[in-house]
Order: sequence, then C-alpha cells, then structure tokens
Amino acid sequence: MTRPIEKIQLRAAIFGLITFVAFMIILSRLWFLQVLAYGKYIELANNNRIRVISTSAPRGLIYDRNRNVLVRNRPSISVTITPLSLRGKENEVLPKLAKVLGEEVKVIKENLKKKGTDPLRPVVIKRDVSKEIVAYLKEHQADFPGVDIEIEAVRDYPYTNLAAHILGYIGEISDKELSSEEFSDYSLGEIVGKTGIESEYNYLLRGAKGEKKIEVNAVGHPLRVLEDKEAIPGYNLKLTINVKTQIIAEEALWEAIETARRQGYKNAAAGCAVVLDVNNGEIYALASYPTYDPGTFVRGISTSEWKKLNEKSSNFPLINRVVNASYAPGSTFKPFTAIAGLSEKKVSSTFKFFCTGKWTEMGEKWPKRCWERSGHGQVNIVEGISHSCDVVFYEIGYKFYKDKSEKLQEWAHYFGFGSPTGIDLPSEKEGRVPDKAWKKSFFRRDSKSQIWLPGDNVNLAIGQGDLLVTPLQLAVAYSAIANGNSIPTPHLVKSVSSYNEQVERKLNTPKKSINISSSVLKLVREGLRKVVTEGTARNAFSGFSLAVSGKTGTAEVKGKDDFAWFACYAPSDSPRYVVVVMIEQGGHGGSCPAIAARKILTQMFGISDRVPEIVTDVSR
Amino acid sequence: MDVIKIIRKVDFGLLVTVFLLLCFGVLMVYSATLSEAKEGASYLTRQLIWILLGVVVLVVAALFDYNWLKHYSFVFYLLSVILLLVVVFVGRWVLGAQRWIPIGPFQFQPSEFSKIFLILFLASYLSDKEGGLKNKDFIYIFTLMALPILLVFAQPDLGTSLVLIAILFGMIFAAGATPKQILTVFLIGLTLCFFVFHFKLLEEYQIRRFLAFLYPDLDPLGAGYSLTQAKIAVGSGGFLGKGLFRGTQTNLQFIPFHHTDFIFAVVGEELGFLGALILIGLFFALIMRGVRIATLSKNMFGSLIVVGIVFMWLFQIFVNIGMNIGLMPITGIPLPFISYGGSSMIVHLIAVGLLLSVYARRFI
Repeated sequence: MTRPIEKIQLRAAIFGLITFVAFMIILSRLWFLQVLAYGKYIELANNNRIRVISTSAPRGLIYDRNRNVLVRNRPSISVTITPLSLRGKENEVLPKLAKVLGEEVKVIKENLKKKGTDPLRPVVIKRDVSKEIVAYLKEHQADFPGVDIEIEAVRDYPYTNLAAHILGYIGEISDKELSSEEFSDYSLGEIVGKTGIESEYNYLLRGAKGEKKIEVNAVGHPLRVLEDKEAIPGYNLKLTINVKTQIIAEEALWEAIETARRQGYKNAAAGCAVVLDVNNGEIYALASYPTYDPGTFVRGISTSEWKKLNEKSSNFPLINRVVNASYAPGSTFKPFTAIAGLSEKKVSSTFKFFCTGKWTEMGEKWPKRCWERSGHGQVNIVEGISHSCDVVFYEIGYKFYKDKSEKLQEWAHYFGFGSPTGIDLPSEKEGRVPDKAWKKSFFRRDSKSQIWLPGDNVNLAIGQGDLLVTPLQLAVAYSAIANGNSIPTPHLVKSVSSYNEQVERKLNTPKKSINISSSVLKLVREGLRKVVTEGTARNAFSGFSLAVSGKTGTAEVKGKDDFAWFACYAPSDSPRYVVVVMIEQGGHGGSCPAIAARKILTQMFGISDRVPEIVTDVSR
Repeated sequence: MDVIKIIRKVDFGLLVTVFLLLCFGVLMVYSATLSEAKEGASYLTRQLIWILLGVVVLVVAALFDYNWLKHYSFVFYLLSVILLLVVVFVGRWVLGAQRWIPIGPFQFQPSEFSKIFLILFLASYLSDKEGGLKNKDFIYIFTLMALPILLVFAQPDLGTSLVLIAILFGMIFAAGATPKQILTVFLIGLTLCFFVFHFKLLEEYQIRRFLAFLYPDLDPLGAGYSLTQAKIAVGSGGFLGKGLFRGTQTNLQFIPFHHTDFIFAVVGEELGFLGALILIGLFFALIMRGVRIATLSKNMFGSLIVVGIVFMWLFQIFVNIGMNIGLMPITGIPLPFISYGGSSMIVHLIAVGLLLSVYARRFI
C-alpha cells in the first residue's frame, strides 16, 4: 500500500490555513463585540434584566354638585395573554379560550396581533369577566398556557344610565387617537374617554401611570420588584349637575315623549331637556333621549352592540341632542326677533299689527299664513309674543329685509346663535344663522338659488327657514333675556380636586356682557310672562304656584311631524333657572314639553304641584 | 511491548486538549444551568455520566484497529440509513423535530451517530480512488449520500444535514478532487438549494431564522430573539467577562438553549474575550492536532477518517460560535465537547478515539 503522503501534506496545509482563517474571523468578530462595542451591549444587557411595567392609574371620580358619586371605579378581572408563553400553541389554545369567553377566535387573534408586539407584556383579551370564567380558567390552567388574569380598575356607574350623555363612555384608544399629538404618551390597549366629560376632561381624569421596575427572566417570570412608583389616580371632578334634577329631567322628558305619542304623534321618539343657571351658566340637568348605558362599554362593546347604537332605527342614542344636534327653533326664536325689532326701531311698544290669518305683504303670489287661521285681529308686540302671532313677526322680518340690512342676523349672533356656546363637552354643534353670505356659499353651484329673498328673512323672523340652533344655544339665549346683562358660558364642571381631595380648584367660566335697553327687555319679558298666564302655555301652567315666563315653539320640519319646543325661565321677577325642552316630532310646544318643564321646575323649587294630565296646545 | 512503546503510541497533545475542553464544557454547563435550581445538579451529573460513557467508548475505539473497519464500510452506510429511518417511525417529537429515539430513560440521537458512520463509509470508498476522482465516482458518492442527508434534513435537522455536506466536501477534497470538480458540485448544490427555497421545502421556522439572521432588527422579539439575546450576552461580557456564574443574560434565561446550542454565549458573557480566546485556542489545538494525525497516517483510509472528523469539528465549531455572535444563521448545531447532550458527547469522544487509533498505528 503506497502512502500518498505528498498529496495529503499539501492538502493538510490548506486545511490548516482554512482553520486559521475561520478562527481569525471568529476572533475579530469577538473583538468587535466584546471590546469595541462593549458599551452598547452592556447597556442592552442591563436594560434587559429590568423590565419597566407601567401600571395604569385609576381614573378620577365624577360627583354631582352635592357630592353624590356619578362615576367611580371598581375592581374587575380581565383575561390576558402573554404572547411569548402562547407562542406555537395558538391554534390549540385560542379556540378553547374563545369558547370559554364567548368570543370569536378571529377577534382574539386580531387583538393579539395588534397589541402583542412585546412578547412579554400581557395583552388584555376580555375585560370584566365573570367569576365562573375565572374559576374555570384557574382550574384548567394547564390547558391555557400564556393565559392569565389581571385585576383592573374599571368604570362603575352607581346610577346606571343616568346622565349618560353628560358623562360619556370610555373605551380602548383607537389607532387614530394614538397617532394624534394629544395621546402621544398612550400605548395600545389603554382606556380613554370617548365622549362627554370623560373625553373633555380625559387629561385630568386619567391620572399618572405608575412604573414598576421588575427583574425578570426571559420567560417574563418576575423575580423581584426593584422599584415601585405608584400610579397617581386622576383628578376628581365635581359637576354642576344635581342628581335629583337630572332624574326628574330624564323622567319628565321620557313621559313627555310617551304622552306625545299617545296624543297621536306616533313618530315622537326622541328629545332633550336642559336646565341652566341663568346667571353663571351652571347646568343642573341635561337629558337626551333615547339614551344608552355607558356600563356596556366597560367590557368592550361588541360590533353588533355598536352597530345598534348607531342605527337610524334606534334613533342614535349616542347623540347628545342638547349639544350635538341643531334644529329649527320655531316660535321660541320670536322673542329675539322682537328684541331686534324693538331695538332697531322697526316696531314700537304701541304699534298695532293687524292679523287676518293671512299675510300678503310680499305680494299676492306669495301669501303667508298665521297658525291662527281666523286671525288674531289687532295685536301689539307683547300680545304677538304671548299668542305667538306669526303676522307680527313676518312684518318685522320683512322690514329688516326692506332695509337691506342684516340687523336681524346680527342680533341673533349677539345672543350667541350661530357659534358654539363653549360648553365643556366635545363636538358641540354651532348651529346656523342664515344670511346672504351663507346662502351664496351654500348654493355655490346654483346661481339662481343664491339670491337672498324676502321670504328668507320672514322665515328667519319666526324661527323657521334655514335657521338652526342647538337646544343649549336657546337655553343660553333665554338666560340672557332672563338676567338682562350677560351671555353665560354653560358648563358642567364646578370644581376639580386631587384624588386625596387636598387641592380643590374652581373652574372659572367667562361671561359675555350684553347691552339691551331695559324698556325693550321689559316688553319682551312681559310677553313671555303672558305666554304662561294667558297665552299658548296657559293650559300647561294652570294652577302653578311659581311665576314662570316662557315661550312655546312648534317648528315645521320638511317631511316630518312638527318639533315641539318649550323654553322658559323662573321665577319671572328674579330669574334663576332656564329650562328648555324639545321633542322631535312631538307636535305643539304648549303641550308635552311645557308640562315637562313644569315638572322640572317643581323639583328645582321644591314646590308641591299637581301637574295637569293632558294639555292640548294648537299654536305654533 | 514496553512502557516507552506504549507511550509513543498515544498522542498526549490531543488527549490533554480534549481533557481541557471537557473541563471547560462541564464548568460552562454547570454555570448555564445554575439558575434552574432543581435541575441544575442533574444537568451536571448527566453530563458527567455522558463523558464517562464517552471515555469508555473512546478507549475502545483507540485500542481497536481502525483498518478492520474498512471491510464494513457499506454496513456503516446501511446502519446510518436504517437508524435515520427508525427515527421517522419511533422518534420522539422534541421542539418540532423528530431527532431522538428513546432507549430506556435516555434519548438517543441517531443523526449524531450517522455522522461517524458516514465518515467511515466515505473514507473507505474514497481511499480506493487513488488516481483521482472520476465523474462516475461523484455520481455514486452523491447519490448514496443524498439519502441520509435528506433523511436528516426531513427530521427536520438542517444543522446536521449541513454538517454532513461539509464532511462530504472536506473528504472529497482530501481524497484528490480537483478544485474544478468541487466547484461544479458546489454549483449543482446551489441550484438544488434554489429549488428547496422555491418549493418551500424548508420549515417555516427555518426560513424565519434565516431571515432573522439577515435582518435581526426586523423582528427583535420574534425569530431574531435568540440571536439578539446571544449577541447581547457575548458583547456585554467585555474583555474579562462578568465572572463565572455571574452572567445576567444566562441566569435570567434571556438566552434560550443556553446549555446546548447557545453555550458559547455563556462563555462569552461570563468569561469575556479572554475566556473565549482560551476556548478557541483549545479548539485550534484540537484541529491542528487532527490535521497532523491526518498527515502522519500510514494509509489513505486513516487519513480520510481523520479528515472527515476534523472537518466535522471545524464546521460545527465555526457554525455554532458563528451563530452565537451573529456571523451565521441559527441552525441548532451543538458545540463539540462543550454543549450539553449525550449523543453529541459520545460521538465526539468516539471521534477522538478514532484519531488516537490512527495515530497509534502510524508506523505499522
């Protein structure tokens, strides 16, 4: 056997060289990692050992003005999944878990995919689960690797759905919110206020997150707590709301809608009411119907529930109709036309209008009618208000038109119509005071419709046409008539205090001063008083011991039944509160809404009263 | 036979190197498993039992005349194929792969043993091709080797099948294949790899690991997790290391498989660059010792056995350390003599025994 020694020696040398080169590559890489980049890696290693887990702060409490708790927190059990522990067993564990939780596998998977970016941080899969589910999961822990439970503070509503539109609901932060500046320090899965006070004052209610520094191993198993910075609960808010008034307002509103329906207005299904302090704008009650239960949002609302809350057939219960919707105010606007007419000397206190039931000033081709077809006969401005005579206000509106001025619109703006009131609630509607500029831009594609017609002004004068107001704007404007000197900023939060009630801070709310001649005010107030004593609301207030001044309204809406309004303040001689009630497709303002206002005032002033069962009003 | 004659037959340099490597390994396994309070001791004792068993097999292999094995080359081939087939039928699923055959309380990993059997088979076949390799020899060799390689690959054990390929290339080169022939085979191999990827023959996790190697920052907590954590461990060790038993990455279990595939990260973290240098120095000595024995062997069969073994070591060392420091994708190849694991330990000690056998018979 020959030895191929020469050949093998050459190749051995090549092997040696390969080995040498391979080992040099390893060594130079090690030199780079361990000597050159040491600083970077030692820092990474130190951070690695310590995980910072943020603990969520309980949201602040919300009280009414007498410190009754409207929103508090309660401990609830959430089911979480730690992605790392689940890895590789998804298809085995998730269907079982979905069945136990009554969720869809798809939903859980999406949740995990979205929020499970940190494999060691548990992702909340379902909030507020029952004790039975917890017991089951604990018993069968081996079948659910990575599945755990977590105690969280969730919102609790002692009065269930009372004041839902004021308080608003909470929910997990959305992608859109997350990308906005306001929520820059939030992370996925955290809870934020979505509407109402919860949203408007989210920055106060949220508190400051705590930080727990925990030494953990790679499985996420905590070994010891190195540092525990406790979360600071959010600020507590004291609202201007009075729970008792709120309860009465919601009840009265619901009864008014029911009554309207019984009286033949079958489409009456929605409405709202608001009670305001005429001097400082504090809101005592704010009711909107239909309503919803903010408690359903605590567990995370399902798609079908959400859909139901946003359907036409359910009348959009999430909408706060006092603030987030605008309507034609109808005759409740007439006092402002009167103030404008009197102040601009279009009409005097002694001027006699003559109402035949038909008004043809704009030409025989365009006759307008008074709601009282037989006519009111001779009426002055005070009687015009108390009997809601349309002809009186047609005249005033037409006079403004012939002037080519927009003084009527200016007066409407002066009382706050057409711009937000500044209430501390999100997405307030600003309404609309129609004028030439608006019409031009509104019909920018149709030059014929851009022309401002006499009819536009005449309709505006009786609160119809293109005028839109929010019930809150109307309440604020009536406050101005009542106090005579200012437009208050309506608001819901009275004061803010830290969680331990040590620091209390009152929120100041600006007022806008207004200047109306006292003789004008006197006339309009007289008219409003007479609405209740002898005018369109006399039936609703018969036998009422408190002096109330107000105005009914029956607004025409194309394709729908009339919208019923009642706006009033009391007591008449030194007004304290304004009440506005509106019922969509509820018919005449002097019937159900006026009764509802009477019930609310009864509670506000603590008087005993026998409210008339059924009142019929035919005015507009 | 006097004492001097016996002593001249033993390669003490190799023995000392292996002994030091084993000591190093035992220490590291102990340190790596320290945090697993209950099992820590059992890892250590188990590893010591494997070493003891391995040393017995080593002595047997060293005393045995390796030339005798030449007659059974095809038996080894069949044996390895049968073993690998058995895995498919009775293998126990561990970590998504069928690599173990249970024998009593222990598990036995045939793919580790198949490496030695195939080295013996290849050495025997190639040693007869004195005048250089012809094309038909290539076809014969590659066709026969494709079966066990694919069986290992299908377990799926990408790492070991790569080791087999490395051994194959190393041995045909040593047996006299020209660079041109090697290159041709290599190109054919690349084409095959393309098909493997194209028809998705790789497990999803293998592709993920490969991608994680190329772009570790893409998914630092998913597939790139092990890689990133191992790199952090090694880098944070610095020049002198954090000290034995003091590796935070190790003890806090940030590194998965820290006593097997990622044991080098423990070395890097706790003993630093210096410790890694010592380990790599020992490996270098081991390989050089092997290369020397290959040149000293009295016949081609012995040389080729040694070349196969040396190539196996070199490849495993480079790929394993490489994946610990982010040079190589994660393939799950243990570090010879250091990683915890019975089959691997016994196989590498048999290999040392074969080297000693070749060395001892260099004059006869």
